[in-house]
Amino acid sequence: MKIVGISACSAGIAHTYIAKQKLIDAAKKAGDTINMETQGTIGTEDALTPAQIDAADVVLLAVDVKISGRERFEGKRVIEVSTDTAIKSPNKLLEKVHQVIGK
Amino acid sequence: MDWKNFMKKQLKEPALTAISYLIPVVVAGGFLLAIGSIMGGASVANTKHVIGLWDAFSTMGGQILGLLPMVVGTGVAFAIADKPGIAPGMLVGLISIVVNAGFLGGLVGGYIAGWVTVAIIKYVKLPKIMDGMMPTLIIPLFASGIAGLIMFYIIGTPISALMTWLTHFMNGLNSHQLFFYGAIIGLLASVDYGGAINKTVFAFVLALQSQGINEPITCLILASMVTPFGYTLAFFLGKIFRKRIYTDMEVETLKTAFPMGIFEITEGSLPLVLNDLWRSVVATGAGGAVGGGFSMLWGADSHIPATGMLAIPTMTKPMAFIGALLIGTAVTGIVYFLLKKPVTAETVVKEEEDIDLGDLKID
Repeated sequence: MKIVGISACSAGIAHTYIAKQKLIDAAKKAGDTINMETQGTIGTEDALTPAQIDAADVVLLAVDVKISGRERFEGKRVIEVSTDTAIKSPNKLLEKVHQVIGK
Repeated sequence: MDWKNFMKKQLKEPALTAISYLIPVVVAGGFLLAIGSIMGGASVANTKHVIGLWDAFSTMGGQILGLLPMVVGTGVAFAIADKPGIAPGMLVGLISIVVNAGFLGGLVGGYIAGWVTVAIIKYVKLPKIMDGMMPTLIIPLFASGIAGLIMFYIIGTPISALMTWLTHFMNGLNSHQLFFYGAIIGLLASVDYGGAINKTVFAFVLALQSQGINEPITCLILASMVTPFGYTLAFFLGKIFRKRIYTDMEVETLKTAFPMGIFEITEGSLPLVLNDLWRSVVATGAGGAVGGGFSMLWGADSHIPATGMLAIPTMTKPMAFIGALLIGTAVTGIVYFLLKKPVTAETVVKEEEDIDLGDLKID
């Protein structure tokens, strides 16, 4: 499965990046490819490219705050959770995503 | 829209978004004001002359901190209504300052500004030919005007009265109550390490500080520092009593977590916390509550809303803060040290929490 995602938390210095790392690790374990964009206090990093978004089966948002560029995902299947969920249960989260998407 | 979704999208997310915009402002203003006041500078309201460097620092900090109601109003309205929310959010926050509704007024006003803007966009229909008038005239004028008038005539007075009542209430607390409320603030501020609960408490104590009550925010400053300090203490206890409680990687994390803690940034401790969540929550909650209780009881009062150790010179009772900080640190450190299992293997496989499928929102 190809995943693109965004993580963003309220302080934008820690949870954002931990969530990203946890999801990347979990995706590796599950054999998925994943690209994660972070929208922290420092601004957007690792911005998703239109090609990555196009190719993705699902958009996974681990966000607590308003994110910018949501319109990029129009027409895609978007799953949204809090950063907390992504940090505490990344593997189970991806399992659920697999179930929902059916891949 | 169902209730749960409304709570998340219309209430919680705007507040957290606003706070994410607020933090750099608080940090900039807090540190500049702290440096200015440590060096003997004073804030200047209006000047035609060149002022001293430290006065300039104090003035920069003071000015931007004075605009916090506007920043929070803008952030909330932006989160709800996107770009069209910015002008009404700014305006409502400024009027909140004028009518003495302060930070809380800015917060509540931000929601009103955002919702008014969304309502205008949704319900005001102009003839096709006048479409261009919506973003250039109708939305900015009416959304700002309506939100501002609501602040002036409807919500400004009750919020200002509420803040006055709260001020009297806080000033009238006896010593048991002081300890109790301090402990509550310390507990809530320390159990989720800079997460949503901490930020909600932050908004509340910041509102109190804008009314001149400095003790509650001092509890929060303390609680944010107790976690990294307590973990560091636990490390040294481990050395003394020969119980290895951290892995090598965790010790490395601690080396950055401690200096971050000096400046009240708890987030450096997060990797440690996540490795052992419930023991961490118990230990830091206990330390935060006890430290917060004593801080409030002894009247530690930071005049700036952040910056950790740098806030101490702005306090009229610095020793109260240092004493409470030491006690809180000792509690967190000792509790954590006692709860921790000795480390054997470098990697510990943990069982993950189950996810409630109902929490997944799928578009």
